[in-house]
Amino acid sequence: MKSVPMLSGAFLQPAGQSLPDPLLAVRNERAAALADMPMPTRKTENWKYSSKYLKLTEDMAATLPATEKASSLDVPGYRIVLNNGAINRADSQYPDQGGITVQHFSDLDADDASSLAQKLGSTLDAEQTQFAQINSARFEDGLLIRLAANTVLDKPLFILHETAATQNGSAFPRIFVEAGTNSEMTLVEAYVSEGDSAALVDTVTEFQLADGANITSIRLTMEGETVQHIGATGVLQQRNSRFESHCVGFGGPLRRHDLQVRLEGEGAETKLNGVVVTQGKQHYDNHTSIDHVAAHCNSEETYRNIAADQSHAVFNGRIHIHQDAQKSNADMNNKNLLLSNGAEIDTKPELEIYADDVKCAHGATIGQLDETSVFYLVSRGIGRRQANVLLTMAFINELVEQIPVEAVRDTAQARLNDFFDQTFQEA
Amino acid sequence: MATTDKEVKELIKREYEHGFVTEIESDTFEPGLNEDVIRRLSEIKQEPEFMLEWRLKAYRRWLEMDEPEWAHVDFPKVDYDAISYYSAPKKKEDMPQSLDDVDPELLRTYEKLGIPLHERAKLAGVAVDAVFDSVSVATTFKEPLEKAGVIFCPISEAVQKYPELVKKYLGSVVPAGDNYFAALNSAVFSDGSFVYIPKGVRCPMELSTYFRINAANTGQFERTLIIAEEGSYVSYLEGCTAPMRDENQLHAAVVELVALDDAQIKYSTVQNWYPGDENGKGGIYNFVTKRGACIGKNSKISWTQVETGSAITWKYPSCVLRGENSVGEFYSVALTHNYQQADTGTKMIHLGKNTRSTIISKGISAGRSSNAYRGLVKFGPGAEGARNFTQCDSLLIGDRCGAHTFPYIESKNKSAIVEHEATTSKVSDEQMFLCRQRGIDPEQAVSMIVNGFCKEVFKELPMEFAVEAGKLLEVSLEGSVG
Repeated sequence: MKSVPMLSGAFLQPAGQSLPDPLLAVRNERAAALADMPMPTRKTENWKYSSKYLKLTEDMAATLPATEKASSLDVPGYRIVLNNGAINRADSQYPDQGGITVQHFSDLDADDASSLAQKLGSTLDAEQTQFAQINSARFEDGLLIRLAANTVLDKPLFILHETAATQNGSAFPRIFVEAGTNSEMTLVEAYVSEGDSAALVDTVTEFQLADGANITSIRLTMEGETVQHIGATGVLQQRNSRFESHCVGFGGPLRRHDLQVRLEGEGAETKLNGVVVTQGKQHYDNHTSIDHVAAHCNSEETYRNIAADQSHAVFNGRIHIHQDAQKSNADMNNKNLLLSNGAEIDTKPELEIYADDVKCAHGATIGQLDETSVFYLVSRGIGRRQANVLLTMAFINELVEQIPVEAVRDTAQARLNDFFDQTFQEA
Repeated sequence: MATTDKEVKELIKREYEHGFVTEIESDTFEPGLNEDVIRRLSEIKQEPEFMLEWRLKAYRRWLEMDEPEWAHVDFPKVDYDAISYYSAPKKKEDMPQSLDDVDPELLRTYEKLGIPLHERAKLAGVAVDAVFDSVSVATTFKEPLEKAGVIFCPISEAVQKYPELVKKYLGSVVPAGDNYFAALNSAVFSDGSFVYIPKGVRCPMELSTYFRINAANTGQFERTLIIAEEGSYVSYLEGCTAPMRDENQLHAAVVELVALDDAQIKYSTVQNWYPGDENGKGGIYNFVTKRGACIGKNSKISWTQVETGSAITWKYPSCVLRGENSVGEFYSVALTHNYQQADTGTKMIHLGKNTRSTIISKGISAGRSSNAYRGLVKFGPGAEGARNFTQCDSLLIGDRCGAHTFPYIESKNKSAIVEHEATTSKVSDEQMFLCRQRGIDPEQAVSMIVNGFCKEVFKELPMEFAVEAGKLLEVSLEGSVG
């Protein structure tokens, strides 16, 4: 048997000790549990297609320093800026509306901290999210966002994750959202970076939705070419709650997002949309899992990947219908567009079903732009390049259009236009 | 539903029809596996030196390997040293030359299985190479096949008679170190069928083998090798039943198919080995590696399987589509009941230009069983214009069973097109109501609905198999509705 490389102990050494004791205890406990964690390899099922992109060197283990640099992004709503995972109070604009509290982990009193320590990580399947566990062992601070019952946030809350890769290092942002009964909020997370040193962004966002809560989560991943990004989002949904997710991802040296939703209360509903675009030698891996634990829940999932040049896009969707989850409806759809012969797409839409009175379906396709459609457009006087752009955009437009915040749509569209410019040359 | 409950209970109690033991003296090895056992096995079979070398190499590879754990099945670890690796009916010296010479006890066994060997062979025009435990005892219809130039014989005979063919193709599709069970099989395979169809020959009849695991605690490791030369055609049927045993029995077979230019191989399986009783006790472990290589241009390999037996099935008949325009097909019905577990599917590896594959998989789970489809569709960079269509449907009967789908799809060629669809449903109340309203009893109604669900696959089976498959499904489903 070949020896498996282990995670370097350096990745389990947090820099600061400024957290309340219960949270420090969580950190220490996770660090101890991870002491002999093997690094994912091709043989690790959930890293099968992506382990070769994971390049962690010892000098990337240190936490990147908080820069306090103001964000360049202008957003129409409340905003909280995280520089390398550290909260930049000066540049943030906290919600001033009643019913919502945004607290830093480091400011929590003993009671709040121990109650959070109980819940932290509970939305994620530890075995499937190794890097979320590393985050649990490393986070220096975090955001606890609480919505009181019946609170409806009037503007979207933006969380701007700014990574300054001016030296090698890592960032471990952590966010925990508790949405009270019938509360409503739109949360936007945008990941950007500057600098060209090797960095790791290992981020975890958790949502707990009480009965009837309605959360829309938007995630825009567009860091630079030297930043490896591994994110996990965990969602727990109670009765009649609704969760909607829109993920737009642009490729990088390693991009990974694990999205895990558990429908624990009857009548809960979830909708997951995702768009991924990769070019050059980029990579992007989306792993989603939806657990139908309670009966009468609905889930709908649509992911589209576009891979150009020599890039590599991966999708793995899993729907698990538990034994008591009768009358579940689950629909998963993954379509992929391969724009070049050097590119690769791997997809694995899984169903695991233990209840009989359910409606489940999944579909997956991989293909190129339809020649007859291109011909149709070209024969009507549209240039070949323009025809390619139109058809490629049409492939994902349905999902881009559904993003409920215009500013995010515009940002995504601008990046997509850059992608089209670089991918489709004038004939 | 009181009456049906009663019916169900009665039906559940029905014992496995094919559960009986033939009392024949067996010449059996002591349990355990080491290089000496392999040497003895090879010696008894009077194999040439290269075979022994090949076996030993496979054994050494096997020792270094770990039992795979990725399949969606759960079973106690197999103790490979508690298995006997050779069991042959005695009277080796005077092996039967014709059916009349065959031990009447053996023939009666086949009779009970519903294979009246001579009758069936004559009437149906099927040549049966029946494997009874490890040595082929009777082969019928050899002569007409020989006239056509077709070689159809036990593989142990082929090793001696046609060593150059065996040397060239054995392990060429499934290498000895391919996986844990294939390595084990390569080391200790006892017997199996060898088929060679020469250039341009259309095999005059459907070839058929019935496997049967008889003696207790003997693993059965058959090895099948089918070679279809340029422009030839063969249809091969394989059916399996095993007597009732309390201890789990291991079955690790390897099947290799080679199709050269314009050749076609159609391989059909009906597998109804003992699935264990209603408490999940006993049953066969069926860990099989089946793979076909479409080496030649325009070649075609088609797998059709109906799997209703075995406690655990671990089986992925695959096609490696290397030749230009070659075609791979996989049609499968897998039914699990009680505590049966199945993890089955296919792999379609597209390497050549314009290769095409179709996958139709129907999984039916009842009782407390678990039924998983696991498939891989892969397009290499050279698979220009390749095409795949996959459809896997699951049907659940009862609320304590599981149906799973794990399809892997990998593409490295932009012009390749793959479409995958999967659905899960149950026998709907509306369908049942419609049938009941017309005076059809629930048992029959379910059987009808399930047969309809599987129609696409059954139509691919050779005639006599299709009838048997339909009947098998009916028997296997008994007691699953109420």
